[in-house]
Amino acid sequence: MKAVNKDVLKDAANRLLFDMSDEQYDMLLEEFHIIQTQFELIGKIKGVDETTPMTFSFDVTISLMREDVPSTPLSRDEVLKNAKSVQDGQIKLPKVV
Amino acid sequence: MSYLDLSIREIHNALLLKKVTIVELVKEALERAKKDDNNAFECILEKEALEKAIELSKKEIPNENYFYGIPYVAKDNFSTKGVETTGSSNVLSGYVPLFDATVIKYLNDAGAILIAKTTLDELAMGGTGTSGHKGKTFNPYDESHTHMIGGSSCGSAAAVSAAIVPFALGSDTGDSVRKPASNSALVGMKPTWGLISRFGLFPFAPSMDHVAYFTRNVSDSALLLNLLSKHDDNDETNSYKKRDDYFGDLKGDVKGKKIAVVKEIRNSITDEEMNKKYNDSLEFLKNAGAIVEEVSINKDLLTSIFPTYFIISCAEATSNNANLDGVKFGPNYGGKTYQEVMYNARTKGFSGLIKRRFVIGSYSLMSENQHDLFLRAQKARHLIVDAFNEVFKTYDAIYLLAAPSPASKFDEASDRLNNDYLIADNYLAYGNFGGFPSITIPLGFKNGLPYGGNITSKPFDEKDVFDLALKLESFTKLSDVSCLNYKEKEAK
Repeated sequence: MKAVNKDVLKDAANRLLFDMSDEQYDMLLEEFHIIQTQFELIGKIKGVDETTPMTFSFDVTISLMREDVPSTPLSRDEVLKNAKSVQDGQIKLPKVV
Repeated sequence: MSYLDLSIREIHNALLLKKVTIVELVKEALERAKKDDNNAFECILEKEALEKAIELSKKEIPNENYFYGIPYVAKDNFSTKGVETTGSSNVLSGYVPLFDATVIKYLNDAGAILIAKTTLDELAMGGTGTSGHKGKTFNPYDESHTHMIGGSSCGSAAAVSAAIVPFALGSDTGDSVRKPASNSALVGMKPTWGLISRFGLFPFAPSMDHVAYFTRNVSDSALLLNLLSKHDDNDETNSYKKRDDYFGDLKGDVKGKKIAVVKEIRNSITDEEMNKKYNDSLEFLKNAGAIVEEVSINKDLLTSIFPTYFIISCAEATSNNANLDGVKFGPNYGGKTYQEVMYNARTKGFSGLIKRRFVIGSYSLMSENQHDLFLRAQKARHLIVDAFNEVFKTYDAIYLLAAPSPASKFDEASDRLNNDYLIADNYLAYGNFGGFPSITIPLGFKNGLPYGGNITSKPFDEKDVFDLALKLESFTKLSDVSCLNYKEKEAK
């Protein structure tokens, strides 16, 4: 497992596109030490690493297709209603190039 | 006495007999909501609720539709068309959904009247009822406001236990309905995963997210499941299994039912007064013909429930909330690049707690950490579910105290991760791991604060859960209890 320090956590937060206060990073570092301890203990449970990972509680395979019913999609105005920066019927963001 | 203090069926009968009108009922619910001092509401929908009450009053009340004209509230993580829905997070301030969540639609179609949206822990990611953008939500049973009601469905629990409405929608990913229900003397039901459509519910950790709800008695809980559990094509995880008639089949007969008591969980609860009440309830079930036996589950597995839940939920949440970026919805604070726009929106929009959880989730998903964290958590989940499924091979249900104590004080519990994870404080998440139907019912009061019992069964066996709960309700005599009448009920 990657070693955890404040720089690693800051990099992870920035990759998630936000920043936190120094106090929050300190708190997070403490929480990581707790997580590592707890997961080392879980790793010692007999058979845990030989078990398959469980994504869903039980099989949810669906083998039928829905009816192909035509429906009216949302209008452009509706879709843009919640965006705060809109111009000429499109969401406006700063120039990329 | 107010009609709002009664069960859904009793209110329905009063409406049919014209003892009260829909408008009077809704007006009184709104008055009670406006007097709320527990911070239960994100918004009160006075105008919309009254308009609907007037519209419904023009038609005959259908005999068989128990929900016609009944006021209710919904947690603010259910999409409501035309009504601001924030998930109690600043990152979604001003967001107005363009559609109704399926369960909101079902209730609306049945004639139920939404009178308010309720507070929650920010984006449902907490268990204390303190982390939403409107601050702490208080427990109506504690006038001093020193004890929490718990979360994340804190506002919905507060509204029902204060008898503002007879039922409320919530969501349950770890224990977010069943734990607050224990703290506020409510019936909190989380049915089998996939039984109720989640279309329009803000996702937190979809492999464990459930629509769940609060009522003040078991029969109302079964009645509501009949309405909410209709199949919905909009949710691809919604089950195709034929639904039972949960209310019609409700008998409360436990004769010959095999009930398991998990020794390690039971032993982790040390409160003598609560244990006595619990033991008395077991005796009552035995006398009613149930077979009660102790079973054992590996303590290390039970201890791993909370960290396993923590890693899986954080990992799923960081991915599911990646769309909250201030571009399509939510406040936009500008920036020189599109990344900066998103960075500013997310930095200002999320609280510290949520950001820490996202970092933990993201870190556990990194390729170099997956084996030791995320995959190990998924493997532990498998072992935990297998252990409980093994119990359900022999037993119809597991019955235990829902929590080790009545509601904690605000300064005694927090959402910060710590090493003191008592099994009994976090074990309910096994119901989410396995998708098991699970109900919390009020069991008693200690120093004026409620505590509950929890009944859990195998997937799609809601019938056993409801029957046992109904039987226990005849033991506790706490049907329709609220903070307004509990002293009278407790005295009985």
